[in-house]
Amino acid sequence: MAVVSAFLVPGSPLPYVKRDNPPWGKIATGLERAGAALVRSEPDVILLYSTQWIAVLDQLWQTRPRVSGLHVDENWHEYGELPYALKIDTRLAKACVSATGTIGVKSKAVNYDGFPIDTGTIVAANFLNPGGKIPMVLASNNLYHDFALTEKLGRLAARLARKQKKRVAVVGVGNFSGAFFRHEIDIAKDKIVAPKYDRWNKKILALLQAGDGKGLSAALPEFATKGKADMGFKHGAWVLGALGGKFTGAQVHAYGPLYGSGGAVVEFDL
Amino acid sequence: MPRTQKKGAIVAGFLAPHPPHLVYGENPPQNEPRSQCGWEQLRWAYERARKSLDALKPDVLLVHSPHWITQQGHHFLGVPQLSGKSVDPIFPNIFRYTFALNVDVALAEACCAEGARQGLYTKLMRNPHFRVDYGTITTLHMIRPQWDIPVVGLSANNSPYYLSTEEGLQEMDRLGQATRAAIEKLGRRAVLLASNTLCHWHFHEEPALPEDMSQEHPHSLSGYQWDMRIIDLLRQGNTKEVFRLLPQFIDEAFAEVKSGAFTWMFAAMGYPEIPAELHGYGTVIGTGNAVMEWNLEGA
Repeated sequence: MAVVSAFLVPGSPLPYVKRDNPPWGKIATGLERAGAALVRSEPDVILLYSTQWIAVLDQLWQTRPRVSGLHVDENWHEYGELPYALKIDTRLAKACVSATGTIGVKSKAVNYDGFPIDTGTIVAANFLNPGGKIPMVLASNNLYHDFALTEKLGRLAARLARKQKKRVAVVGVGNFSGAFFRHEIDIAKDKIVAPKYDRWNKKILALLQAGDGKGLSAALPEFATKGKADMGFKHGAWVLGALGGKFTGAQVHAYGPLYGSGGAVVEFDL
Repeated sequence: MPRTQKKGAIVAGFLAPHPPHLVYGENPPQNEPRSQCGWEQLRWAYERARKSLDALKPDVLLVHSPHWITQQGHHFLGVPQLSGKSVDPIFPNIFRYTFALNVDVALAEACCAEGARQGLYTKLMRNPHFRVDYGTITTLHMIRPQWDIPVVGLSANNSPYYLSTEEGLQEMDRLGQATRAAIEKLGRRAVLLASNTLCHWHFHEEPALPEDMSQEHPHSLSGYQWDMRIIDLLRQGNTKEVFRLLPQFIDEAFAEVKSGAFTWMFAAMGYPEIPAELHGYGTVIGTGNAVMEWNLEGA
């Protein structure tokens, strides 16, 4: 089996840069638990898709062997910097670039000094892969790709990893409900912005925990619209694609608000 | 320090779009990639705009960019000097630009305070490690490559996308009024830069050689016709009709003016019914771009 562990994690910087705020600290603790589980699964590579790495022309894949730097979030700059140092599995990433034509997607390799790594990728990497020890494949979110095409990309990346005889951890980075507070709030009293979104998040989490793949597939289109799922929950599509839709359940390491949006740390049972 | 006068004024506004291709085509020393040619009509349009700007002798340039997207509030660059390397996340092959800019922090603070007074959620960006977005940098380079005039950078709050277009643009209107009040209070002689493309339908693949101009043309006839309709109205000074049509233009041409810079600029200028100077129009990967000027002193 190529995939040895799989996770959904939020891409907000708040648990990383402001974990002393109790609601966000809980998410940070959940992310650390997920990180420990990922390490225990002993993957050779992490296949990571972040909704915050936006592409519009092609499907982009990071192929620079090492990327490092200091990022400041565009919105939460007052809470400080996000350092990062990542090792890229260039052989697998280049294989992805070469192979996506088979599913009708044109891909491009990204290998530039100073290329801006998105907040979601950095936050997920820092919690799940501290020190950047495990090589990664980073995939962008092309805005014109839908859920089904993103599933295909995840499936393809996992298949190519299997071909290279690699053990894979697959990670989808994004929020559950994407609705948020637009104005200043008391951050210590952060909550999901409206009860309907909380209900939607919990419904999806329950389906994941039950390992109900069919129920999940049926609910996700409505979650995307009525639950305002972040980017149509395409980070979920990436993971489900890599798993071939096969999982027996899930553990929710954390669930809570991130300035009103829904943040959940989920580990799939395989 | 910027020169001051008794009461500040907005002396001009420019529609100043930010395709990084224009910087790439020009080959300035700050940009790593080299091109053979490309997008000359738009680059020459900016040459004309540069001359106008030079004659205006502003104290400060204010730029509202759709590529600094903020969800919580309207943000303002608030660090005296910012520098670094800006790599375009969409077009890293053509834009890797080493920048250094000076910020008029006092004016940024005043805009921030006036915005809050208008009921907007506003924030100053005080982090010295902040990477300035490529939209801000491209617009500033194209209008003033000398980088010798202090700037105020404004983020694009995503309200027109998160709320309705109309609700979002109402916020941009208030942001414009706040900007004007701050400029007047601080006695600045200011030029506003709306960093927006018009029709934003674009091709989904780049030519193998990005500057292969044989591949460059409007994405669609309908988008082109929309652009010409809006530009013609602006050339006539029919601002009221432009803003009546704006929501429809945004919907049908996927116009980037939805992100707010255009409305912000016009609100700050008081929606002048004066003919715009069209410095030039051209397409970039199919999108429609116009470099236009409203000279309020000459009006």
